[in-house]
Amino acid sequence: MHNKRWLVAMALAAALVALAQPAAARIKLATLPARERVEIQLENENATLVEEERIVTLLKGTNHIDFSWTNTQIDKWTILFRPLAVADTVRVINQSYPPGENALVWEVFADKAGPVKVRISYIIGNLRRSFSYRATAEPDEKTLTLRNYMKVQNFSGEEFGVSSVYAGFAGVFQKEMGLAESKEMLVAKFDTVPIKKKFVFNWRTGQVVPDEPNQRYVTMHYVLKNEKPQGAAAPAKGEAPTILGTYPLPFGKVRIFLKKVEADKSVNEAFMGEDWGQFTPIDDEMKLFLGLARDVKVERTVKKNERTDIHGNLFNQEVIVQYKMQNFKKEACTLDIEEDMNELRNEFCGGPKDHEASWELLGQTTDKTRVERKSAQKIEIHVPLAAGPKEGDKKPDEVIFLLHVLFKSEW
Amino acid sequence: MTRATFALIAVLLVAGAAQARNVDLVTLPPRDTVQLTIYNSEDLTLVRETRSITFKKGINRIEFSWANTLIDPTSAYFRPLEHENEIEVLDTTFPADRPQVLIWNVDSKFEGQVKVEVSYFTSGISWNADYVMITDADETKATLDGYVTVVNNSGEDYEGAQVRLVVGVVNLVEKIARLAQAGFPMNTTEEALDESKSEVSKLKSNLMRGALALADRSAGAANGRKQAAPPKIVKEGLSEYFIFTVEGQQTVKNQWSQRMVSFRTRDVPFEILYRYRPHQYGPKPVRFFILANDVEHKMGESPLPDGVIRVFRENGRDGLSFFTAQAAKYIPIKEKIELNVGQDNQIVYERVVLDLARQNFTYEETVRPKPPVVGWDETRKWQEEIRNYRAKPIKMEVRHVLAGDVEFSMQAPALKLYDFHTPEYVLEVGAGQKQKWMSEGTFHLGQNQKQDRVRLAGQ
Repeated sequence: MHNKRWLVAMALAAALVALAQPAAARIKLATLPARERVEIQLENENATLVEEERIVTLLKGTNHIDFSWTNTQIDKWTILFRPLAVADTVRVINQSYPPGENALVWEVFADKAGPVKVRISYIIGNLRRSFSYRATAEPDEKTLTLRNYMKVQNFSGEEFGVSSVYAGFAGVFQKEMGLAESKEMLVAKFDTVPIKKKFVFNWRTGQVVPDEPNQRYVTMHYVLKNEKPQGAAAPAKGEAPTILGTYPLPFGKVRIFLKKVEADKSVNEAFMGEDWGQFTPIDDEMKLFLGLARDVKVERTVKKNERTDIHGNLFNQEVIVQYKMQNFKKEACTLDIEEDMNELRNEFCGGPKDHEASWELLGQTTDKTRVERKSAQKIEIHVPLAAGPKEGDKKPDEVIFLLHVLFKSEW
Repeated sequence: MTRATFALIAVLLVAGAAQARNVDLVTLPPRDTVQLTIYNSEDLTLVRETRSITFKKGINRIEFSWANTLIDPTSAYFRPLEHENEIEVLDTTFPADRPQVLIWNVDSKFEGQVKVEVSYFTSGISWNADYVMITDADETKATLDGYVTVVNNSGEDYEGAQVRLVVGVVNLVEKIARLAQAGFPMNTTEEALDESKSEVSKLKSNLMRGALALADRSAGAANGRKQAAPPKIVKEGLSEYFIFTVEGQQTVKNQWSQRMVSFRTRDVPFEILYRYRPHQYGPKPVRFFILANDVEHKMGESPLPDGVIRVFRENGRDGLSFFTAQAAKYIPIKEKIELNVGQDNQIVYERVVLDLARQNFTYEETVRPKPPVVGWDETRKWQEEIRNYRAKPIKMEVRHVLAGDVEFSMQAPALKLYDFHTPEYVLEVGAGQKQKWMSEGTFHLGQNQKQDRVRLAGQ
């Protein structure tokens, strides 16, 4: 289990642990009980807990058990020593920390001689995990297969043999964790995950189209929901999940591929893009930005901007924003237009204010039912766009959506 | 006493006042007992050691030296434990040519062996507490173990010592470490000289008396037996302090630390409470384990000294999960213990402003032609939602900080004001449930603001 850089040692001083001299002068005669089992707990993203079981042979009476480590970042104040299944016949009297050493000595009293299984736990540094995903969409872009991987990097300075590795969800992995080794393991695989392909227009965050001051590029996203499919049973405890909605998806990079059926019927995969998948609680959506959708064109113009004085410097501002859209794709899609009402107000009411916008939709709005109010300040307009015409030279129809807003009581 | 050159020397030669000499003949009486009373609020330890010295009638010269240690020479004190009325210290001399030495000239009317006590303050020895809590897999009960760790960097080995640990905050007018470095009691710094010397002396004398009184308490019989069980730590109160006395004798070597069990409790019940206080804990709710240092929670024997509490959970797979390490402040008997074990990914909380409207405008009418708005009311409607993916119901305590003059209303049980600008309420959600609540606040802004407080509707 240990190579020549064997670093964490637990020594049972069978005959003598001379503790009277400073650290460098401690004389030890020791037996070296091997690790019987190691568990690496990675649930806590800030602290990795290692638990190891060893069988130590104790003498009747007082024993000194010496635990030492070099080149590893063990937090010595977190080290726990727990004899297992011996009730109170083995008792830890105290533990001492010798000077200038990464070590501690347990004084243990045993009522009788014999082997005892003990569990030692400690927090170790530089043994970390991160997550990543690989999403492979079907050619129709309606579903995908999502694989969630956990990468464990062992720069702790210690080699762990076959260890149980646990991420806090999914199953327990039996893996060998070599020194300075990185290991990526499949945590869960989700088949046939429904996805929405989302096209988003955002005037303020969108990339400017060259030489077109009233246009911004539309962005393309896959959106999947971390929810349990209806009627699906949760996986048994300790088993790898096969359906979404059983654990919050951790933050990690998502690489997205699209299956492509070649002329010879073979299936290939094309890389579509990658994005950071945000931490996604159960029932929330993970929105992945793939790239620009340049076949959906949007032009934004302001058709009305009128002020009505109320009293003093108080006024209402009436604004009509027009979005003119064209879908050059062969497939129909829904465009989501995002607006921040504070920003929109600032655009027409004299710049940033120290108060938030108070507003209402007015009658010339093309279809109020398509305006989703996410909050007092955020709206999303969902506009369906038909597929582009199949005829050779025919251009797609222009779709107009008017957003008619009254900003109330501004000054 | 292997590392430090600490010696108590009974000089049998008759001598007057200390004088220059290069040749001495001395006997070296060993320590009979040693007792450490260690404070955790200051770098301060009272050492009391007893030795046996044979006196002759007349003047006896006794030399005490403490090379390479951190003893405060101003605190060294000699007293006979027998024949007190026949033995008197006449004077104490700090020889100019020998650092870290003092000489007591002792007048004795008794001849023979006498047990004496030497006491002094030293710095470099400290102790601290820490705790390990391990919950069961269901997170309803826990084991809670308390530890004390004695750290000795004083330069001196203490073998077979009785150890007492003082929980309490004592006042010191000068740091012991500085006095130890000063070497001679007269080598005080300018700032120390600015202090009233008599006052300092009086306070120090009081402190020594107090420390001796603490050390006298619960002086158990020390013994040198090998321990078959962890030493018990006896806790008792004295005035505003608490003393933890470690049973038996301990060896505290220089530069070593020794950790001992202070108490063990099993099956300690605790509650789980979520708190949403973004101003205090960040943007997500955090989970607390709540218990108390009382009999109901199988504690309450003594206050819990400041220390780190490490919280683990039995993970149901013959192992532990680590939650957090939290620095806990001193916890008096019966006081609540609140352990922040961090965010919980199985609980989702969201608050969003759904609507906002302004009304009741006030103008500065003296400004023409367009009197500006100088006051208004703004009404906000919030929606709060909790999603509980845990298999048991949860309680979440929310503090919603609102600045200014605000009327607040919400249909929530136990709605109250935590302080003048913070409504507090507790929301409960069943296992695996989602629930929404609406609340409303009207802010009186600009000149409409007459107060700086939140008023709960109907109160």
